[in-house]
Formats: sequence, C-alpha cells, structure tokens
Amino acid sequence: MAKQSLPTAPFLKVASAPHMHCGTSIKGMMTTILLALLPAAVGAIYWYGMEAVRVMALSIATAVIVEALCSKIMEKEIRIDDFHAVVTGLLFAFILPAGAEWWLVVAGSAATMVLGKMLWGNFGGAPICAIAVGWAFCTVSWPLQMNIDATMLNTTLVNPLSQLKYFGMDAIADASMKEYLMGNQLGALGAVQVGALLLGGIALLVRKVITWEIPVATVAAVLIVGGIYYSIDPELYANPLFHLFTGSTMLAIFFLLPDFTSSPNTRGGKIVFGLMAGFLIILIRTYGQYPDGVLFAVLLANMITPLCDMIKPKPFGAR
Amino acid sequence: MAGMWKEFSKGLWAELPPFRLLLGLCPTLAVTTTAENGFGMGMAVVFVITLSSFIVSLIRKIIPKKVRIACYITVAASLVVAVELLMQAYAYPLYQQLGIFVPLIVVNCLILGRAEAFAGKNPVHLAVADGLGMGLGFTLSLTFLGAVRELFGTGSVFGMEIMGASFEPVKFMVAAPGAFVALGLILAGMNYLSIVQAKRRGEPAPENPSTGCHACRACAGRK
Repeated sequence: MAKQSLPTAPFLKVASAPHMHCGTSIKGMMTTILLALLPAAVGAIYWYGMEAVRVMALSIATAVIVEALCSKIMEKEIRIDDFHAVVTGLLFAFILPAGAEWWLVVAGSAATMVLGKMLWGNFGGAPICAIAVGWAFCTVSWPLQMNIDATMLNTTLVNPLSQLKYFGMDAIADASMKEYLMGNQLGALGAVQVGALLLGGIALLVRKVITWEIPVATVAAVLIVGGIYYSIDPELYANPLFHLFTGSTMLAIFFLLPDFTSSPNTRGGKIVFGLMAGFLIILIRTYGQYPDGVLFAVLLANMITPLCDMIKPKPFGAR
Repeated sequence: MAGMWKEFSKGLWAELPPFRLLLGLCPTLAVTTTAENGFGMGMAVVFVITLSSFIVSLIRKIIPKKVRIACYITVAASLVVAVELLMQAYAYPLYQQLGIFVPLIVVNCLILGRAEAFAGKNPVHLAVADGLGMGLGFTLSLTFLGAVRELFGTGSVFGMEIMGASFEPVKFMVAAPGAFVALGLILAGMNYLSIVQAKRRGEPAPENPSTGCHACRACAGRK
C-alpha cells in the first residue's frame, strides 16, 4: 500500500462570527515586559545616577526612530506603537556600561534594530536575539569602549567577574550574594540589578508572558555545571550561585533567552535550549577570553533553536 | 566582434561573479579586509581565468568527456603556480597578505565554473572575452567589497584616510562576521535594484523564494 498522507480536512473547526478575543496583544505583552523591567531601571538609576538615564533614553529613542525609518524604507506599516522597539532599546541599554559614549549607544542601538530585527522583516522574524546581535557588534567593534572596567573608573563598585577572571578566587572571597542581589556590583548598567530582574522575571512568569521551561532549565544547568566545577576544586572555581547572581546571567535567563522569536516553541525543545544556554554560560566564563560571556552564550544557544524545534510529539497517526 | 563584446560585458553586471552568480565566495569573504587586497586577489584571478579559458577552449576538442574536470583543474593549477611564483617575485608583500588564498585559487569555483559552462563549449575568442569579463567583474566586486569594509573598519580606502580623526573604526567590518554582513547587505541591494528595474520595465517583480509557510522548516515542511 502506498504511504498515505495525513487527512487534509481541517480538524479544528472555526465557528462563524462573532468571535471573542482573549485580549492578548503584542502591545499588551510589551507593556508587561516594560513594567517588569521597571525595577531594574530604577535600580540602575539608583546605582549609576543620571548617566544611566542618559544611556537608556538615548538607546530607546534611537531604536524607535530607526524602526520607524526602516519601516518607511521597506514600505511597511509603521508599528512602533506596539512598544517592541522600546523594549529592545531598553534591553540593549541594560547591557551597556553606564559610561558608554553617546555614539556607541546610538550606533549599537541602530545595529540592534537593523541587523537584529528589521533585516528579518519586522517583529516576529528574527532567528537570533536582537540584543545579543547588537552587543556582539559593539563588543567586536569597540572592545575598549565596551569594557566595563575601563569605562567606569569613577565608581567605587567592584566588578566581581573580572576580579574572578584576573585575580582568582581570593579576590571574591568576601563576596556576599545578598549584596549582589541588591545590585551592589559593577557591570552593565541594568543587567547587574539582579534582584530587580528576578522580581520582573517572576512577574512575567505569573502573567504568562514567558513560560517556565527556559528559565528553569537555564538556572538548573548553571547550578549543575557550575556545581560540578565547584565540587572539583572550590579553590579554583566559583560557587554556582556566584555565576547566577553576577553579570548578565539573570537578564539572559528571563529576558533574552525566552525572546519570542528566537527561542524554540515546544516544551522539550525549550528545556534542551535552556540547558544548552546554562552550560555555555559556565563554559564561556570558565575558559573564555571575556569575563562575562553570557551574551555569546545567548547567541550560540539561538543557533540551535531550529534543532530544538524538531523535538516535538509525533502528530496523531504519523509514522 | 559583437559576440565578443556581449560575452565580455555580461561578466561586468548581468552575471557579475560573486554578487550575481555567487561563485568564488571563499576569497570574496576571506581576503577583502582592504580594497588593496581585494584588488590584488582580483588581478590574480583575472590572469588565471583568462588564460585558463583560453587553454581550455583551445584543447576542448581533445579532452575526453569523462575526465574533463580533472583536465580543467590541472590547467588551473598550472596557471595558479605561475601566478604564485610571479607574485613572490614582483609583489611579495601582497603575496604575504593573501597567504593561503593564492594557492586556493585552484579550487575557486568561478574558474572551474567558467571552464565547464563556457570555455569547454565555445571557440577561443569568445572564451577569452568571457574569461576577461568575468575576471574583471570579480576584481571590481572584490575591490568594492574591500573598499566598503576598509572604509568602515579602518576609516580609510586604499590606505588613504577618509573618515577623519574623530571616527572610531567599526572593527566588526574587518573581522570575519563583517564580511558576511557586508556581502549579505550588498546582495540585498543587488536584489532590490533588480526588483526596481523590473518594475520600471513593467515586468512582474522576481518572486522571493524564501517567504511563505512552505519555506520554514519549523513545522510545515517536514514529512
């Protein structure tokens, strides 16, 4: 018998109008994300002052203008009122040092929007997290200006990750996880507001903007892989909680990895994706050239998204 | 004469090698960090492709059909060795810059492609015109790509300062990923141009093969 194809008749029946709308919209989701990012923004202003406001405002303004211009050039409907450009601009500002020069913010934010979002169509097309694209563009182009330790000389905060990288475990011996949670560490301006981001992330989970699989799998992988290194030699490798509470890990877990278009769709795929990302975070931090390689981990994890999407239940009747 | 001009000029725009035919992408991506490197690589390719088209076209009747690829490669390899030795003698700094990519001209698909698709079937004068046109098109494209990357990556073109002192070089453009991004943007620009030209002539725009549900592997395409 010849191989039979699946029945072609629609098995989900759509009733005739009027229909009820559940009320979710891109705009609503983006507003929720913005609200979830608000505590971190406040934290950034508390620790870095008006410098942080300047970077965030510049980044958001550039992102919105670039999206409008690109839509105009592409002869598409201008949809800046869905706030996705605002979220992207704010998230991009969160991974910059507070002392970033204005042209760096403008160029990076524009690159984020053009290379990361608009080139792939508009919202919904990007296979890679736009913010990580912009970060990689800036880090490769201007390593000195993106170096947090080099641009933030006028602060008393300490960057735990470069301490660990260049001075070893002794330098972070008196590290306090509670202080790290409060944001008392030098790093990218929003990404290190760890406690605030954790709050926002939980809010997103509660509001069901993101699902639990990716954050839980990433945290698990960071704890497990970090724990393995820690148990091999606690004098040489940092506590896994340290990796969770420093640098951009928390931002990646709740805001960058579960990015709608660049993460897998299925439950199994999401878990594999999260595990991969967590594994890469520890690996890059342990052996990589950069002190904080979280954004590279995000980029690399995005690469396996199409593979993760193949992990799915068999359709009924398929062989 | 008209036929020769036609074969010569198609390599300059209609079938511009790296941007229209998408052949010879390895040197296109690898050596175009500066306009000068792109130009030097292009000149080496012009030499090899013109002579290889000439020789292949001369001996096309005595090459056995079954081993023609090996014959083409042998011809190209001999010419590339000649280029390599000439570059070592007269342009040693450029040779050092291009490094491994000079010997790799042997396996440049552009040369094999023209030998297989054109020189192996056409008389000598047409084959030479085709080879010269393709080679010059390749040189122009590589020089253009190199100039774009050098302009943004270092702020100068052919070593001449253009952007001014306050410009912070976008090192991304001279790094490896910059080659892919720059090439992709140029290809997009070429496609946009052809859509605009088709519109102006009143023809239907060429269909984009990558839109629609069937193009995505995520769900619909799998059987």
